[in-house]
Amino acid sequence: MPEQTTSAAAVLDTEDLRSTIAEILDVDPSEVTDTADFKEDLDVDSLLALEILVTLERKYQVKMEESNLQLMRSFKVVHDLLAEKLAA
Amino acid sequence: MLTSLKGSWCLILGASSGMGRATALAMAKEGANIFGVHFGTAAQQEEADELVAELRATGVQVSFHNCNAASKQTRAELVPVLKELTGPEGVRVLLHSLAFGSLLPFLPQEGQEDVITPRQMDMTVDVMGHSLVYWVRDLYVAGLLPRGAKVFALTSRGDGRVMPSYGAVSAAKSALASHVRQLAVELAPAGVSVNALRAGLTLTPALLRIPGSEGLARYATDSNPHGRLTVPEDVAEAVVMLSATDSSWMTGNVIDVDGGEGLV
Ligand SMILES: NC(=O)c1ccc[n+]([C@@H]2O[C@H](COP(=O)([O-])OP(=O)(O)OC[C@H]3O[C@@H](n4cnc5c(N)ncnc54)[C@H](O)[C@@H]3O)[C@@H](O)[C@H]2O)c1
Repeated sequence: MPEQTTSAAAVLDTEDLRSTIAEILDVDPSEVTDTADFKEDLDVDSLLALEILVTLERKYQVKMEESNLQLMRSFKVVHDLLAEKLAA
Repeated sequence: MLTSLKGSWCLILGASSGMGRATALAMAKEGANIFGVHFGTAAQQEEADELVAELRATGVQVSFHNCNAASKQTRAELVPVLKELTGPEGVRVLLHSLAFGSLLPFLPQEGQEDVITPRQMDMTVDVMGHSLVYWVRDLYVAGLLPRGAKVFALTSRGDGRVMPSYGAVSAAKSALASHVRQLAVELAPAGVSVNALRAGLTLTPALLRIPGSEGLARYATDSNPHGRLTVPEDVAEAVVMLSATDSSWMTGNVIDVDGGEGLV
């Protein structure tokens, strides 16, 4: 796999994001469906949610707020939040 | 014997805020080098960057890391870095000051359906309790806890009292007190002391996250015999003072640092 460069980092590849999150949650990417509820279906706690947030900040060079933790509810919500930050 | 902290290394888990931050500043003032671990988003990173600059200005060495202190991977990455930095001297003082947990009741309440999940319970007890054991072990195995080293863990009155929403943290504090006793005995032959500091109520981000904390703070302000709340600097002072000896005779205790708040 080619190295992630900073300029490439700003591009939001949906499947790459899915694998990134799956890796943090230690599950198969296929389990991270668009709508699977992080807490109910994937057993995500607030520490894992913070891990996701911090990882995304580094990978995509965006700034997240502590309040964005509440938005770590499903892949779709995270994807949309990230897309919004990248567009800003 | 009382010995200077100058040039020694202090490892602080939870270094960016509250008790950890105040201890970093107080230790640096004594000339100790600071290795800090904290975990948060960019906003918290900015606060940490400011702290690092303030610490560096005192002339000591500073190494800060924004990562989850409760993960095995973090320890695997940071222990070799510590070894490199501290050399044969190792870590003179370890302060465990992590505040991260689920503040949810065990049973559903009126208007509050959310209850703690097994995962959240385990996570809370792991971060605020068990992680002490794993850090101490990894440091010990790496030869980084020399004779005279001091381990401190922060606890609260929640170790024996009940507060709504504090159940998982209470469990973590109870586990922590047990770990302090166990580690104190296992580390005694190595001449390393392990103690818990039980701070009084202190206005920090961690306290403000506890539902109903304003009421608790008001009550503690009124009832504390000193007529005020604990400040992080009170805890920092205790850490500096208790670290100033190479004796490990005082070990396995829970030491109140609360101005007498727990007595009344
Ligand atoms: N504030 C009080 O009233 C009070 C009273 C008694 C005891 N304590 C205890 O003191 C300790 C510190 O609390 P505080 O009030 O200073 O909190 P705080 O919120 O001010 O600071 C907590 C620190 O822990 C770090 N942290 C949290 N989770 C982490 C993780 N997984 N990995 C790495 N770093 C992490 C944060 O980045 C921050 O630096 C806690 O054990 C707390 O229970 C607090």
